[in-house]
Amino acid sequence: MLGRLRSLARRALGVTRAPTYYLPWLTRPGLDCVVLVNNIESRFTSGRDATALDASVTQHDADGRVVAVHRTTLGDSTDAREVRLTPTAAGHGFVTVAAPRIHSDLYVALVDGESYRATHGRHEFVEHYPAWARIALALVGTLLGLAGRTVPAFARDQYVYQGPGGRSHVLILNLANVVNRVRVVATRDGRRVGARLLRLPPLGTALLDVTALAPAAGPLTVDRLRLTGNAWFNLYLVGAGPLDLDGTLSLMHVK
Amino acid sequence: MSSELDALLSATFHEAGYAHMIELVHQKDAPARRRLAALRVDAYDAGGRRLAVVELDPAQDILDLDALVGDAARAHGRLLVVFDARYDARIFPYRPHHYAYLQRRDAATAPLYYALNATLGGVPDRIGAVALNNFETYLFLDRPLTERYALALGNLSRFATAEAQVITYYDGARHTEDVRLPPKAHAEIALAAARDGARLRRVELKALFRLTSYVVGRRPQGGELVLFDHLFTYFK
Repeated sequence: MLGRLRSLARRALGVTRAPTYYLPWLTRPGLDCVVLVNNIESRFTSGRDATALDASVTQHDADGRVVAVHRTTLGDSTDAREVRLTPTAAGHGFVTVAAPRIHSDLYVALVDGESYRATHGRHEFVEHYPAWARIALALVGTLLGLAGRTVPAFARDQYVYQGPGGRSHVLILNLANVVNRVRVVATRDGRRVGARLLRLPPLGTALLDVTALAPAAGPLTVDRLRLTGNAWFNLYLVGAGPLDLDGTLSLMHVK
Repeated sequence: MSSELDALLSATFHEAGYAHMIELVHQKDAPARRRLAALRVDAYDAGGRRLAVVELDPAQDILDLDALVGDAARAHGRLLVVFDARYDARIFPYRPHHYAYLQRRDAATAPLYYALNATLGGVPDRIGAVALNNFETYLFLDRPLTERYALALGNLSRFATAEAQVITYYDGARHTEDVRLPPKAHAEIALAAARDGARLRRVELKALFRLTSYVVGRRPQGGELVLFDHLFTYFK
């Protein structure tokens, strides 16, 4: 039912969806972020003999602006190339990858001096709203925002963790060219323990500190987050150890 | 229990000293509706001997795995932990997913979050299959790091020994290791970070059965897990 309503609303607003492969990125002093471009999957298809496979990686910063466009070429189907992403002051965002002849999941890795953690991207879409729909959503969003609410067009649920040795952060990606107001509500043992309204610029990101949202003391605590936004968004979980964002970090996709 | 239920067999590994929380139903967006019909957890030592069988409340959100099998892990080492879930396909049109949080209790590094392997339960993917027809791949970064890599493998078969090949690639040079695992047995197959001056770039796992498989990275001192990730399955 909700899906049909969304579909009708999209048509009424003139929203189009551009198929897009995207990955999150995160940089910190001493922590490199690289996208591993490959076409390994093609070894099992008729594309196994392909050569000179071009890929273009467009890096958006947290404010949605394009930081850099990185280009690379795979020599053949077994080749893999590392694209080092540009560090920025905000230190997070997402990249989109244009690689029409590459049909593999791509990895993004966080690398410190000793080790790395990696996760893969998603082939989904980015929503494009026409100008009048962006203005209408901005007006409605501003009004609802006064009450700490948003247009609940999309929702996601995610467990998050915090304890003495580490905690989760949530990297939220706005996959739309419209301001996305994302409301986050945390519950613990069925009780609401925190809420926040985030304002993500078009194609921007936000890094949510779970402990600031709903502090927990003592042993490892699991909270459940409910996120609702007025446009398409996705999230990745960031794991931080005892040094929080100054230490090693992990990054993981969710369903 | 309805005979219309579908089954999902998932598996992971557990070691003593780790906080290990399993999300039994990931993204539980309507708690009253999205729950499993039944869930059983079995734990096996490296030789395939069953050490624990627990029927869990399927309404439970998060399982503290160390609380459940931590004593067995302290006594017997790494365990293969198998989740046998039954679910209604009308509630989970694709299938439920189990995700997990993993961190050593005295860790200096970040916690890891990963998706549990969904396996077929030790049956050939195609009846009559005689060749190794499960292919899984993982790529490594091309830079010298101190972590030690391995593949953690487990055989969920009830009766059949699994034969598998672990193939590693070092800038074009190929190295093959044959692995035999009796039913429910498991092992960690070390992957050399370099051979003849060339760095490890890729690993492939080939098997007749879908095995439980994770890429593992450990700190050289103390062996703390710093990488625990699924491979990519391309043929199944």
